[in-house]
Amino acid sequence: MSNTPTRKARAKADRQAREEQRQAQQRRQRLLLAAGGAVVLLLAVGVGVLSAGESADRQDIPTVEEVAGDPTIEGEGFPPAPEDPGDDPVVGEPAPVVQGADFDGTEVTIGEPGQPQVVAFMASWCPACDEELPQVVDWVEAGGLPEGVELVSVATNHDRSRPNWPPQDWYAEAGFDEPILVDDDASSVAGAFGLTATPFWVAIDADGQAVGRITGMIGADQMTALAEAAAG
Amino acid sequence: MIAIAQRSFGVLALVALVIATATFAALLTRRVPPWLPDAALPTATAIAAVATGGSLLLSEVAGYLPCTLCWYQRIAMYPLVLILGVAAARGDRQVWRVAVPLSAIGSAIAIWHIAIERNPALGGACDPAAPCSIIWVREFGFLTLPTMALIGFVAIAGLTLAARDR
Repeated sequence: MSNTPTRKARAKADRQAREEQRQAQQRRQRLLLAAGGAVVLLLAVGVGVLSAGESADRQDIPTVEEVAGDPTIEGEGFPPAPEDPGDDPVVGEPAPVVQGADFDGTEVTIGEPGQPQVVAFMASWCPACDEELPQVVDWVEAGGLPEGVELVSVATNHDRSRPNWPPQDWYAEAGFDEPILVDDDASSVAGAFGLTATPFWVAIDADGQAVGRITGMIGADQMTALAEAAAG
Repeated sequence: MIAIAQRSFGVLALVALVIATATFAALLTRRVPPWLPDAALPTATAIAAVATGGSLLLSEVAGYLPCTLCWYQRIAMYPLVLILGVAAARGDRQVWRVAVPLSAIGSAIAIWHIAIERNPALGGACDPAAPCSIIWVREFGFLTLPTMALIGFVAIAGLTLAARDR
């Protein structure tokens, strides 16, 4: 009887050796992949630490409490504005009367009978408002606002953690020179007029009654139409 | 801390962009390197895990409120961590059949979200709670959150297709 392994046993040993080799190769690949992943992660964090140092000093930025106004609201508030301005039940209803102030403390009034107004509710962080505000400035400069109609913006939905804070800088950068009423930190004025989203437009006639509310960006033509509706 | 995390995610998104581009180039030219199919699934799992961890960090720690479209992208991305992780552990090279459709849906939503970011008028008015047009993060001038998500989805789709190609 011979001690040499049979052909079958040799083949089995070869297969085992190949399998072990394959597994060793797989282990090496996984180790390499894990090491590569760790290096990429460390590099990413390293780049983050080295290059993201210019985070703003939040101490210098005014708080919501410092920016927010303290307006008083009289009269019944409006229900949320409908999607279709044509179905608005508040048309012809007396608008809430709001006494407030701008960022410098100058008094601003909304809804008082005797002064037709177009009121633009804006949130400085809202990209749609950010796009609309320069259009409003252009529209006013082009003479789009009819004689006797006042344009007032309400700075609302204050949020210090979002872009374009504080709102007074945002208005100033856009060159907006019309009166601005600063809402409180609970957005009470916006709530009283039924704001559901920004930008939000309300037209009020000389009798202090609402003549229309529109949610969203409207463009110069609709601004003119709203202002003419307010003028009667 | 959040600024460092944002920049780090930006760098990782750039790495994922390179991976996605190289993988699709290899697939389209039918020159998939022999090591790629083995490396593809663990890499895809890592991308899904980083995207998931990043989105949770930015919403739960940084306080960036996710909008509706963010949530739809999360719905597509989060399950991929488990699906790809299990596939990588088991060596399931057919996982592209699940991963590619999920990535395609996620990519389509991310593209629409990017369009709204670039043109806010498309998204209409801003929901005061969580508007989709708001840009919380913009790294290297172009990497916003949906852009990073799009890169992640495309990389995952490419890698799972490369894993199949053996």
